[in-house]
Amino acid sequence: MSDVLPWMFIIVAGAAMLVALGSLWLSLSLGLSDEALGDVRAQLTSDARQALLTEKDALLQELRDIAFEHDAGKLSDQDFEELNKKLRAQARHVLHELDEAAEAFRDEAEALIAKRLGDSEEDA
Amino acid sequence: MPAFDIPFFGTLILCLILVSASYTMAVAMGAGSGRPHLLPSARWGTYATCAFLLVAVCVLAYAFQVHDFRIRYVARYSDRSMPWWYLIASLWGGQDGSLLWWAFLLGGYTFFVTRWLRGRYTELQPWILATLMSIVIFFVVLMLFSANPFATYIRTTPGDGEGLNPLLQNYWMAIHPPSLYLGFVGWSVPFAILIAALVTGRLGNEWVRAARLWSMIAWTFLSLGLLLGCLWSYEELGWGGYWAWDPVENASFLPWLVGTAYLHSVLIQERRNMMKVWNVFLLALTFVMTIFGTFLTRSGLIASVHSFARSDIGQYFVWYLGFLIIGIALLMIWRLPKLKADNEIESLVSREFAFLLNNWVLLGMMVFVLIATTFPLLSEWLRGEEVTVGPGFYNKWIVPLGIVLLFLAGLGPLVAWRKATGSNLARAMMFPLGVGLAVAVLQFLFGARVGFPPIVEPTEIYDTMTGTILAWTAAVAPVVSFATCGFVLASVGQEFMRGVSVRMKKGEGAFTALVRLVSKGRRRYGGYIVHVGVVFMFIGFTGAAYDVEQESALRPGETMSIGSHTVRYDQPRMEADPNKRMIYTDMTILDEAGKPKGEVAPAKFIYRTHPQMPTTEVAIRSRPAEDVYVIMSTVDPSTRRGTFRVIIRPLVAWIWFGGIVLLLGAILSMWPTARELVREREAAPRRVRFSPATAVVALAIAVATMLAWVGVASAQDDSSSSLHAGSVVINDPVERQLFGRLLCQCGDCARLPLDTCACGWADERRSEIRELLAAGQDPNGIQESYRAEFGAKALAIPSDKGLDRALWAVPIAAMVLAVGFVILVGRRWQRRGEQLHEIKTAATAGAPSELGYESRLDEELKRFDEDT
Repeated sequence: MSDVLPWMFIIVAGAAMLVALGSLWLSLSLGLSDEALGDVRAQLTSDARQALLTEKDALLQELRDIAFEHDAGKLSDQDFEELNKKLRAQARHVLHELDEAAEAFRDEAEALIAKRLGDSEEDA
Repeated sequence: MPAFDIPFFGTLILCLILVSASYTMAVAMGAGSGRPHLLPSARWGTYATCAFLLVAVCVLAYAFQVHDFRIRYVARYSDRSMPWWYLIASLWGGQDGSLLWWAFLLGGYTFFVTRWLRGRYTELQPWILATLMSIVIFFVVLMLFSANPFATYIRTTPGDGEGLNPLLQNYWMAIHPPSLYLGFVGWSVPFAILIAALVTGRLGNEWVRAARLWSMIAWTFLSLGLLLGCLWSYEELGWGGYWAWDPVENASFLPWLVGTAYLHSVLIQERRNMMKVWNVFLLALTFVMTIFGTFLTRSGLIASVHSFARSDIGQYFVWYLGFLIIGIALLMIWRLPKLKADNEIESLVSREFAFLLNNWVLLGMMVFVLIATTFPLLSEWLRGEEVTVGPGFYNKWIVPLGIVLLFLAGLGPLVAWRKATGSNLARAMMFPLGVGLAVAVLQFLFGARVGFPPIVEPTEIYDTMTGTILAWTAAVAPVVSFATCGFVLASVGQEFMRGVSVRMKKGEGAFTALVRLVSKGRRRYGGYIVHVGVVFMFIGFTGAAYDVEQESALRPGETMSIGSHTVRYDQPRMEADPNKRMIYTDMTILDEAGKPKGEVAPAKFIYRTHPQMPTTEVAIRSRPAEDVYVIMSTVDPSTRRGTFRVIIRPLVAWIWFGGIVLLLGAILSMWPTARELVREREAAPRRVRFSPATAVVALAIAVATMLAWVGVASAQDDSSSSLHAGSVVINDPVERQLFGRLLCQCGDCARLPLDTCACGWADERRSEIRELLAAGQDPNGIQESYRAEFGAKALAIPSDKGLDRALWAVPIAAMVLAVGFVILVGRRWQRRGEQLHEIKTAATAGAPSELGYESRLDEELKRFDEDT
């Protein structure tokens, strides 16, 4: 092992060096161009949707938790009713926002489909 | 020695890391300041920095393996006889290398975080990367300007190295520091997420969710590191204990206390959108404490058995700490309007308030430990007098606080969120309280017969009213602690039973109900299992009140009796390997009938490179009820006569078992749901994914590997080393109390009291003091003479007068003020909460356009229940 180990460290260091220099090169070339802008914008949009989905899951989890606590007798009927009402309202709001966010893509998607269909017809 | 100039290359790589991290930080800040197209560039810059860090560690590891003694660090911490695994462990054995190791682990975390961030938190991402890079920059600057692990000797290169300290040549060295570092470094990630949230002003629950997994990972590794530290101390340092309240131990305990407070407090924010400022403060403080802890360890300002040599890197840490504290404070002030709570506490009898109390106790303990740890420094600065704060002080003050915390761990789950009605709470508490009381009654009835009396003999650390109160508090602590353990176990058990019965009402069988209960509420029930682990650990801690020890000189064939055991000394034997000579003494443990029930072999190791430092290898026979801990103090080669110290330590094994339960609970609470896995697949469909699942599975494998390693290593060699080669004899409680207050002043045994220190100097001093006591001298007079002869620093606990009193008065005053503040604020919140509640109830009707989503929500809930 003691004979092999130094070589292993050299190989790993060499590979890591190549990765480091390659990554740095990529970083510089990406930094000097605007190529990535579209990707980042798309990511921001998808990010907002992911955030809403996470929010939705958190609210669903909380709704399930309070139902459980109520069944276990740790939450009074009145408290459960109030909390449930509030959380359901918030969850409906998030569902509504998710639909609205998807709406923005509908026109774009329809245009793309129309274009694709148009292209196929021209080809035919 | 290789012709290749490794020292130059290593330093060059450090420079490249600095350049790469600075560039990446600048690009990331640019991406966060209106140039989003720079984000991919920052991500690749981050990968480059992480890869350079890997290169640096590999270069140093290579230098160790090929014995490149041109490098000072390699020459100081290794030699040619060391096996390859110790050469790897030497990477973090000294100051300079451990800083590189720290930066490397941070690089590892940064790499995984950057992978994980792909496709999420795009707004926060640039600032997370920038913050992580700023921490890398700090450590690289530290190395380049003050502690370069690639620095060379100015003149000649030595032919061989000095070798690693014998105390560090054991398996603990391979696993304890890395896990502790993983815990320390891990808090950088949630801290970076917090800074990103403060800078961008996105202070809703987004950052809390983003930081959740990473804080749990850091907390788990920190807990594992602390646990392994206790094991190391117990097996390695050979004084019979597992926690000495040494400044370096305290340094890792401080962030753990604050981090634990954060993990509880953040639940309130997630559930009720409250306590936002407090959570920001706690998370920031946890990170600051990790840096402060590193400062304590590295600066060498405070005497410790673990600390590195005194160096000038302390000043860098002071500047960095100052920068951090001011920066965080300014950011918090700037963002205060966005940190306003959406809700307020509605009742003082609520889960929220129980969590607040939990935070109060945890931070109270933190203040106690912090002040006591830094008191020697403060005393030196304020009045030019060196003092020492020994374990006795901590044990007396922290134990009661620990029991209150344990009680809250049982109380919390019983209290409902928002508002618990008196009758509900009373009903919920009846069974756990009954169990707690039953445990106390049973202990009073039968405890003394089985070796666990409910009340132990009080020992005073001060001859004042405070001393008496503390002594009696400690005397009744065993029964209170066991009763509280019973209360918490019953409380957690009741929670599981309640949950199972709710599911059984829906037609599920008991086993299915239990499995589904836990799998659908991993976080909650994982947390409860963590509490169970803490209870087991407390059972082990409480066992320390019943320690018995005895010292005897024996010839082969002779026996000594202690407790229900008889220990027979069979024979000495010698072994050798290329690195050391080993002198073992074979001993047999006999039962009351004289039948053998186990064998142990305490030893002394004499290392080739450190012949002047023979180490004492303790031998431990561990069972759930008690450990038999055997130390061979001396053995005469000509007469074969040996001196042995045997300690019976009840219930210690419960600490390790509790630790494992705690870790399993932590892993369970992080385990991702099937729904989360699906979401991951949707987010990154084709490429290699780094999901929370990967993180948690990797964490579980790491923890299991470390624990398995401990098991294998222990099985191979159940002994370990200590530099305390002499013996300790204590004849009566007066001696124990007095010796416990006086510190050894030989110069090598920093912070060890005379009731523990086994060096020759301490032995002589004990004999002298014993003669004075026999001559009728007052113990207080002897203590004063000792202080007059060696100075205030020779006392294990500062006096209970003047400025010394601030040691306990300041934390107590802070805690009293804090509880007053908590109650006052709680009441105010309660009033405002009631008003807010009325307003919100009116506002929850929902917009008309959303009313149609009612049935869709029910479908979502049904699907959610099936998926998770």
